[in-house]
Amino acid sequence: MEIDIEKNKKIARQVERWDLFARLTPTLFLVTCLILILFNIVSLEYAFYIGLSGFAVTAVTWWWWAIFTVKYLITVLNRASKGLNEVNTEVKKVKEELAVLKDE
Amino acid sequence: MNNKSYILVKAATNIISGLSMATLIILGVLYIGFNNAFVFNNAGIAVTNNPVTGGQINFILEGSREHKCVLTRVHSDAYDDATGESYQFDFARKIYIRSDDYLGSDTGVVDHQWAMPVPDGMGPGVYRVTLYSEFDCTYLLFKKRKIQMFDNISLIIG
Repeated sequence: MEIDIEKNKKIARQVERWDLFARLTPTLFLVTCLILILFNIVSLEYAFYIGLSGFAVTAVTWWWWAIFTVKYLITVLNRASKGLNEVNTEVKKVKEELAVLKDE
Repeated sequence: MNNKSYILVKAATNIISGLSMATLIILGVLYIGFNNAFVFNNAGIAVTNNPVTGGQINFILEGSREHKCVLTRVHSDAYDDATGESYQFDFARKIYIRSDDYLGSDTGVVDHQWAMPVPDGMGPGVYRVTLYSEFDCTYLLFKKRKIQMFDNISLIIG
């Protein structure tokens, strides 16, 4: 249970980091590239390939992160669902036992 | 930072980030299109006065041009497959018949006709002409040196 809570917090932190990354990276990259190209520090072709590589790396990383996170969430959901079913069955049993006791 | 300012900053960064991403994608797609485009599309060069009997060979170039491109270098040879001889055309002596814009950069439909003198020593026969041209092309903030070749232009000297 504690491991789950710790892992849930970890995923929440990762989501926040992805959110920040998505919010800042495109603008930073665009502005940096424009400045570097305007001052002839890098060529447009070079900036294009850097951007393309960054885009590809981000896409692949995000894809695997999403797959593992979804897998983890489904596992947690299944476990929680199983636990709730067990509780439900036990409550039913207790109700039946209480009814028997009342009758006596 | 209070809650309202935080929401405003978050919304602003969301919009700026989205616009930046859209700009990057649009520029990337435009760059790929520009990079892969030919100088002339659906273009061909032919000799209009075959068989050439006078001292002048008339050429025509038809096609279309999508981007602004300025000719920086041009080179043309005529090969006689029967004898293996080749002759170089002198572009310094070229005269325009129909258009003065082969060197220019106008976009749209291209219909140029120009003439060049028959190279010295070129005898009667069937020749295969090749034309090699280099251009400096520009589009928005993109610049690229492009090469376009035309070959198998049939030339008959009478």
